[in-house]
Amino acid sequence: MAITEAPAAPAADKRNPLTAGGTRITLIIGGIAVVGLALVYLLGDREPALITQYLVSGLLLGGVYALVSLGLTLIFGVLGIVNFAQGAMLTLSMYLVYVLQSSLGLNLYVAVVLTIPLLFGFGWLVQSMLLNRLTEDASHDRPLLVTLGLSLLIVNVLLMIFGGRPKSVDAPVSGSIEILGALADTQRIIAFGGAVLVAAALTLVLRKTSMGLAIRAVAANGTGASLVGVNVRRVYAMTFGLGAASVAVAGGLITPFTTLVPTAGEQFTTLAFVIVVLGGLGSIPGALVGGLFIGVLQTVGSLYLPGSGSLILVFGIFVLILFLRPQGLFGAKQ
Amino acid sequence: MKRKALSAAVLAASLVGLSACSSDSAESGSDSVETVTIGSVHPLSGSLAGVGGLMNDGAKMAVEDINAAGGIESLGGAQLELLDGDSQGEAQVGQSEAQRLISGGAVALVGTYQSDVTQNVASVAERSKVPFVIDVAVDDKILEQGYKNTFRIQPDASSMGQAGAQALVAMGEETGEPIDSAAYIHIEGAFGDSVFAAFKEEAEKQGITITKEITYSGSNFSDATTQVSEALAGNPDIIAVTGYYPDNLLVAKAVGSMANDTKAVFGIASGAFDDTSFPAAAGDAGTEVLSANYHYSATSDRAADIRARFEEKYGKPMETASMLSYQAVEVIAEGLEESGSDDPEELRDAIAGLSLEDPLLAFDGPIQFGEDGQNENATVIVMQVLDGKVEQVFPQQFATAELVFPAGSGN
Amino acid sequence: MTATDAPAAPQAPKLRPANGAKRQYTFLLIVIAALFFVPYILPDSAQPVAVRTLIFAIMAVGWNLMSGFGGMFSFGHAVFFGVGAYTDAYLLTAFGVSPWLSMIIGAVLAAGVGLTIAYFCLRYKLAGSYFALATFAFAQMFYLLSQNLGFLNKTDGINVPLLPEESWAMLQFDQDSKFYFWIPLVILGLAMAVTIYFAHSRAGQFAQAIRDDATAAESLGIKVMKYRLITVAMSCAITAVAGAYYSQYYLFVGPEQAFGIHVSTDAIIPAVIGGIGTIWGPLIGAAVVGPLSELIAHLLRNPPEFLEFLQGTSGLDVAVYAALLIVIVIFLPKGIYGTIRERMRK
Repeated sequence: MAITEAPAAPAADKRNPLTAGGTRITLIIGGIAVVGLALVYLLGDREPALITQYLVSGLLLGGVYALVSLGLTLIFGVLGIVNFAQGAMLTLSMYLVYVLQSSLGLNLYVAVVLTIPLLFGFGWLVQSMLLNRLTEDASHDRPLLVTLGLSLLIVNVLLMIFGGRPKSVDAPVSGSIEILGALADTQRIIAFGGAVLVAAALTLVLRKTSMGLAIRAVAANGTGASLVGVNVRRVYAMTFGLGAASVAVAGGLITPFTTLVPTAGEQFTTLAFVIVVLGGLGSIPGALVGGLFIGVLQTVGSLYLPGSGSLILVFGIFVLILFLRPQGLFGAKQ
Repeated sequence: MKRKALSAAVLAASLVGLSACSSDSAESGSDSVETVTIGSVHPLSGSLAGVGGLMNDGAKMAVEDINAAGGIESLGGAQLELLDGDSQGEAQVGQSEAQRLISGGAVALVGTYQSDVTQNVASVAERSKVPFVIDVAVDDKILEQGYKNTFRIQPDASSMGQAGAQALVAMGEETGEPIDSAAYIHIEGAFGDSVFAAFKEEAEKQGITITKEITYSGSNFSDATTQVSEALAGNPDIIAVTGYYPDNLLVAKAVGSMANDTKAVFGIASGAFDDTSFPAAAGDAGTEVLSANYHYSATSDRAADIRARFEEKYGKPMETASMLSYQAVEVIAEGLEESGSDDPEELRDAIAGLSLEDPLLAFDGPIQFGEDGQNENATVIVMQVLDGKVEQVFPQQFATAELVFPAGSGN
Repeated sequence: MTATDAPAAPQAPKLRPANGAKRQYTFLLIVIAALFFVPYILPDSAQPVAVRTLIFAIMAVGWNLMSGFGGMFSFGHAVFFGVGAYTDAYLLTAFGVSPWLSMIIGAVLAAGVGLTIAYFCLRYKLAGSYFALATFAFAQMFYLLSQNLGFLNKTDGINVPLLPEESWAMLQFDQDSKFYFWIPLVILGLAMAVTIYFAHSRAGQFAQAIRDDATAAESLGIKVMKYRLITVAMSCAITAVAGAYYSQYYLFVGPEQAFGIHVSTDAIIPAVIGGIGTIWGPLIGAAVVGPLSELIAHLLRNPPEFLEFLQGTSGLDVAVYAALLIVIVIFLPKGIYGTIRERMRK
């Protein structure tokens, strides 16, 4: 059992938590969000146009968060690994895009597509060469330290190769459009679309392919799966690879509006954990909704708690969720 | 008992390893005056490694130039030697690196770029009675400890805020476009707060209204749209910005993407707007952005020569921070020259009393330090992004191009 | 009361007779006495690294109590370190309180904070990665709070003023003073002694039994929450003392130094490398990890000839350190001490 001490035991549940939709919970969260926003509009004492801008920006930021969290929810949910290298892997994919673009002159989106198999391979290697050696004991401290070391390693190797001076990539599209009077950057809209696309693709892979079936089987019951002949280690490697491949899309799509330095991805690591737990370990719709929720909460919250104040709010909610609904919004009930 | 002996052996082995650390560098004492050692502490790894590396290279090049020109004359042509320290961007590492360099024979230190690391290095310098010349570190607080051995070449945060406001008013008068209001977007924390507070005080004295103060978190910032739209809501004449590179780039891009009738985006001590990579990274949004900051003097031939050689040697443009490290080494060399001794305490007195003409930075006059160790003539000038390049535009004596004001950003 | 009535949980370590403890105390005394002479051997330049290593070691010993012996994996020990560090700096600058007193106050405060956090986490039955993430979230909240609280100087942090003269009462000496090494050494010795005492005490035996099988322990009538909280309180108090000493040695503490993520990992790494849940693990881990990055940096500053081309590449030293960290974690599954002990037994 990979999700060693997770309070949610999904094995017996008919719906598989990896892809379960959770209509009811979506409605509840949507309801809360609508009521909260209505309160802000009516009693918030801020210009409605400004609130709309914050809301739109928050949703777009949430799209970025969701994009980064999708890969993590697979890795954390199926393998139970607290992957601290998530942010560093994100940076790695950004630099790959940068290299493909600056040396081969490729179009940004072609470069993004090319980084997907590269990162999949990278994730596969990391899991099969490093982390698979640690899965015998159920401890989480050693995988955690390995990913921590990996994160340091990636960041510093990038530093050795590219130096620390900021780099940037060219995007074929630029500019922005207006939504309800609020401004939305095209690049961020594309990233938002990317998040939805990655979520859909992951759901499809998990539901329709044999690889997905194996992953779901291992996530539900590792020992059981190995008894019926599933090569668990291979499935682990595939899962990590799949998680890394999602990160590649994330990195590629956020590169145009990010200053590229070797530590660029780090700021997302912490929030990605918040989102994954909030959404429910291993839940793809959960990561999507959780990302949007945190993005809106942080941005609209900063209307009243500027700067890092709104982050305190985010972590406060995170702890409350841990206490009151540790299986997360989309997690299966005990 | 056997395993305990083994663990004791592990302990012992690591101690031996530790003592091997730098046992070889300890011999360069101060009795021989053939070489004089200067320690440099900068973030060579971690998130600030880019600029830290440039600064270290700047200091290295200054040492080479001085040696090539005959070393320290009053010490019989003694050669300088630079020991590098890597603060990794962390205060405690910076402190132990400073101690390592001093016990390795450094008679003076330069550093460190970050204010918190500088605090720690300053306390080491004070206790070891070794002069410490700050190249870059902005907090006012560093020199408020009453330390006798710490000197700073660049202007501090509050004087930059004040000078920024003055420059703005003067530019408005010169171009006949008076500025009545400003919205201010700045990073959270001591740096942003003190620049803003000083700007506000001076600006209000000069009749400029601050329509809005907006802060953002430096550690988690990937979209500036909301901050900028909030700033624009009050229809200010200008948007003033203080922060570091990635965040200020986002602010400039956000302003560029929104329709507005501000007269300019005006950086004050901004880490981005006068960086050589900014115009390319910001694209159209960067056009005619203004920046009040300390800056290498583009009108000085000496600075131009150094920059050209630097770029040839290291393949990277020499940013202002790097020029400050170069300048800091020159200050120390001048101190050595004047004191005619490599004794740190005499060196300190010489640095405290010196007046170094022809600074490489666009300052009001020679580098000379006040009671508190602050360079009294440090000031800011105004730069503007014109034709994809950062040009100096104000005041006139430093101008390399004509000021465009109101600037066309966003329109 | 002897250890015999402790429940024999499946993986519980073999209960040592009382003379086991005596032997460990003796060994501890020998180690500390030997380390006493370290400042005479080390060159001045390595002294700060040695002190930093000791501070790590104290933290790791504290962390190991809660996470190793108590089985509650904390990824937020920065909270307790930071509470200790800020308590010291704040009380000193605001009220002139002696650091010795602040250490105790800080330890009590940190224990209180730790008890509150742990109580809620345990009350809501968080375990494993969830417990770790909850403690991590608290560390982040403390970090953000310290950046926003005016009386803690926000991001400015607090400077401990330099005194004109050495003072025992104010815990300040000349920069090269050997007391800066000896004081944390004694603190480390005391922390180790607490660990040994705890490991052999009834409470400690219970805590380990709970770690190995909480349900079994509970069915035997052990008050699970009580013994877990005792473990947490001791762990937090020890970590806070390390924090207070940090402020005194570095004379400066800010949000990053007190509550940064790296503080939590600094507590974890030595303990895991040395051997989690063992008495000597954190000590050995710290002795290896503390000087490691320094040694690598030193080697790379003066590289052997065939590696000369690497000189001056920024990031290389940290990259090598990271690679070594990964290798140690993977190939020494029980940590250095744990692996050695296993080999010896075979």
